[in-house]
Amino acid sequence: MNSFYAANLLVYAGVDIIACLALNLQFGVSGIVNFSFIVFQAVGAYTAAVLSMPPDTAFGYDFQFYFGGYHLAFPLPWIGGAIAGGLLAIPVGFVVLRKLRSDYQAIALLVLSVIANTVITNADKFLNGAAGLALVPAPLSDQFDPNSNGYQFFYVGLTAVCVVVVLVLSSRLVDSPYGRSLRAMREREAAAIAIGKNPVQLKMTVFIVGGVIAGLSGAVLVGFIQFWAPSVWLYPETIILFAAIIVGGRGNNVGAILGALLVPVGFEEVTRLLTNASIGLPPGVIPAMEWVAIGLLIIGFLWFRPDGVRPEQRHVFEDAPMLGDE
Amino acid sequence: MSLYVAAFGFGLVSMSVIAIAAVGFTMQFGITNMINLAYGEVMISSAYVAYYLNRAGISIWIGMIGGALFGAVFSFLLNRILYAPFQRKGTAPIGMVIVSLAVSLMIANLLLPIVGYYNVSYQNSTGDVLRAGSIVLTTYQIGIIGVAIVLMLLVHSLLRYTRLGKAMRATAANPTLARNCGIPTQRVIDAVWLITGALCGMAGVVAAMNSDSFAIANGAAFLITILAAAVLGGAGQPYGAMIGAVLIGLITEFSAAAWSPQYKEVVAFGILVLVMVLRPQGLLAKRGAMAAAG
Amino acid sequence: MGAAGGTSAAGNSILSAREVHRHFEGLRAVDGVSIEVPLKQITGLIGPNGAGKSTFLAVLAGTLPATAGTIVFDGDDITRLPAYQRARRGLVRTFQLPSEFARLTVLENLLVAAPHNRGDSVFGALMGKRYWMEDERRLVGEARALLKRFGMSAKESDYAGTMSGGQKRLIEIMRALMLHPRVLLLDEPMSGVHPKIVEEIQHYLETLRGEGLTILMVEHELHMVERLCDTVVVMAQGKVIGSGTMATLRKQPEIVDAYLVG
Repeated sequence: MNSFYAANLLVYAGVDIIACLALNLQFGVSGIVNFSFIVFQAVGAYTAAVLSMPPDTAFGYDFQFYFGGYHLAFPLPWIGGAIAGGLLAIPVGFVVLRKLRSDYQAIALLVLSVIANTVITNADKFLNGAAGLALVPAPLSDQFDPNSNGYQFFYVGLTAVCVVVVLVLSSRLVDSPYGRSLRAMREREAAAIAIGKNPVQLKMTVFIVGGVIAGLSGAVLVGFIQFWAPSVWLYPETIILFAAIIVGGRGNNVGAILGALLVPVGFEEVTRLLTNASIGLPPGVIPAMEWVAIGLLIIGFLWFRPDGVRPEQRHVFEDAPMLGDE
Repeated sequence: MSLYVAAFGFGLVSMSVIAIAAVGFTMQFGITNMINLAYGEVMISSAYVAYYLNRAGISIWIGMIGGALFGAVFSFLLNRILYAPFQRKGTAPIGMVIVSLAVSLMIANLLLPIVGYYNVSYQNSTGDVLRAGSIVLTTYQIGIIGVAIVLMLLVHSLLRYTRLGKAMRATAANPTLARNCGIPTQRVIDAVWLITGALCGMAGVVAAMNSDSFAIANGAAFLITILAAAVLGGAGQPYGAMIGAVLIGLITEFSAAAWSPQYKEVVAFGILVLVMVLRPQGLLAKRGAMAAAG
Repeated sequence: MGAAGGTSAAGNSILSAREVHRHFEGLRAVDGVSIEVPLKQITGLIGPNGAGKSTFLAVLAGTLPATAGTIVFDGDDITRLPAYQRARRGLVRTFQLPSEFARLTVLENLLVAAPHNRGDSVFGALMGKRYWMEDERRLVGEARALLKRFGMSAKESDYAGTMSGGQKRLIEIMRALMLHPRVLLLDEPMSGVHPKIVEEIQHYLETLRGEGLTILMVEHELHMVERLCDTVVVMAQGKVIGSGTMATLRKQPEIVDAYLVG
């Protein structure tokens, strides 16, 4: 039983790290307050599910109504999920990321997140509405037995590979002239324009890249929990990830990873401990207090330590003169 | 056809509820530059205050006053303790949005253990049904329309004819200049939060009255409709918010009749997006959405 | 990038504005301004507060759209061209208030302005350091040369936000120079700057003019304008009320009354 617990923890940690790396690109590095982030993870999960599941008329699946059901083998559903995340970013970005001031952008994205959830919940035949999709096939489940211990480790390994790939690619983006342009845009958009940067293009590209990574995180998660419903991706889920970035440290991948481990993962574990320990509290109190704590963390860090536990590091070029020389 | 006439009737009630809320919300933004995402939660909290008063046997109309008082004090404290300090610190508007979102989350979840997850409703909150042709409304719904009209007139008089109202308009236009002209902006802002907080509280109670039942979860849906009305009318413009409320109220009710009542917020959201794409400054333009990037 | 286009068709002015208007909420901030900015000279734009000078500069740069009128740069009509593209073509502006990238180092402030870096796109970045390091090293060399010339080599790795007002001004000018501009639009470059650095900036601008740069600068300090500017344009209430050298302008009583007290 223990290995399932460990695998669960590690896979969730991996998914959260991947998600935080994407949000760090959008929010930490580029300053885009993407309050609809969770929708991109959801679209990746739904796409991966719909690509890997058999048609909804198939035996054992006919209690659900969904479109697609192409029963594709791994890794196609995961690739599809990542692409879906990127594709969704195009119309959303096109509408929102143009000349609106940034607080309006944030509001529009927040509202999008709420509405998307409402629409999917009510559209019963599209993605099985509120009940969601169940019995999502685990990757390579025809070759390996998904219930075995070995499979758990395999999945953790799979997740780890994704984490490493995303980490390498997002580090390349952040520590590059492109990343520098993003940071300049974050610091002072008007000046960035004055030196020839096209902010709309920069925002769109980072929105799409972030969408791809978010979609991948959804695909990885849905392959593991084999279930996905609107209740999993309510708008406050995005806020947890924002708390992670704010707490862990903005604008750098180490901070993002740290934040992912402290906030989403940390809270999961603390909740588990507390739920086991305190039997007297009515149900739902601990999750509610968790949310209050998240809110306090955000406000507290924004007040006392806006740069987070591990702030963005200074970029010093090779052979630079010693600091402080005159 | 009669379906749409009835929808028109419901639209009158809807627009009344939205107007009370949206005017308060937009004034908070216009005068203090604060997009208060916790507005929906304050509305719901006030609705619950009225609910508890109602359960103790007090008429819902008195409870409305209680809700308004609660909303006023709550909003005032919210600004004093959280928003104003962050703004004084120089936090950018985008940072304030994050703060207000965090606050809304905290309010909702602090309330949940106290009031519970399940829907509640006011007792005897319907009144008799009246008919005029195809329009079917209860006396209470007509009462809501009446309350809204009275409140809109009060807001209008406040802004137009009182010194406080003029001070508010001056602060909205240019806070530094207003301060330099001797306007006590700190006290004006306090007054703004008290007054708009009262509107918020009252809006929460009438919104709850107009629903079969309500729960904490309704806060987000309220907020979306209010946002749509405020942005449509022109952010920061109280008269714009009234116009926006009329339009959103009617359009959502007609869409509910033609399509499905579950999608009312979706329609409001659609309008919000259209406005942001086509005319971000809204109908009655001010500095609004096109302000300097960042 | 500013192409080697040479002078424009209209004599030797590289930038011209024709009947440019900028109206906003009923205010006519720029009310029919036509000027020619001569090539390789420093032109001053002066006038009382509220004359519309900074607004006009912003319209030239593309920061604000013109309500009416035409702007021609190096022979091309750029009236509808977005601001970032004007910068890429060599028409670069600076700002009156400090506008450094605070949490980038001084060196990064310069590097980020440099065009033609293979790493400055998603594709280039994903390809990794080896793909763009050569461009980066070349640009670092260019940036360091500029830093040395402007005496800020030691500050290369400091955050630009921690610099003094005068240093930030220099950073902004160096940053603009990384774009190899043909025309610099300076919005009150001396404001809020220590007098010693003002001298320095003056000297740099003269040298830059010598190297072929055209400068249009909004400035209040009339001594500065006198020393530095070959031509001066005077604005008041959104219109041009005179232009020429300071000497000729001083001879016109309406202008002296309207503005030239010192």
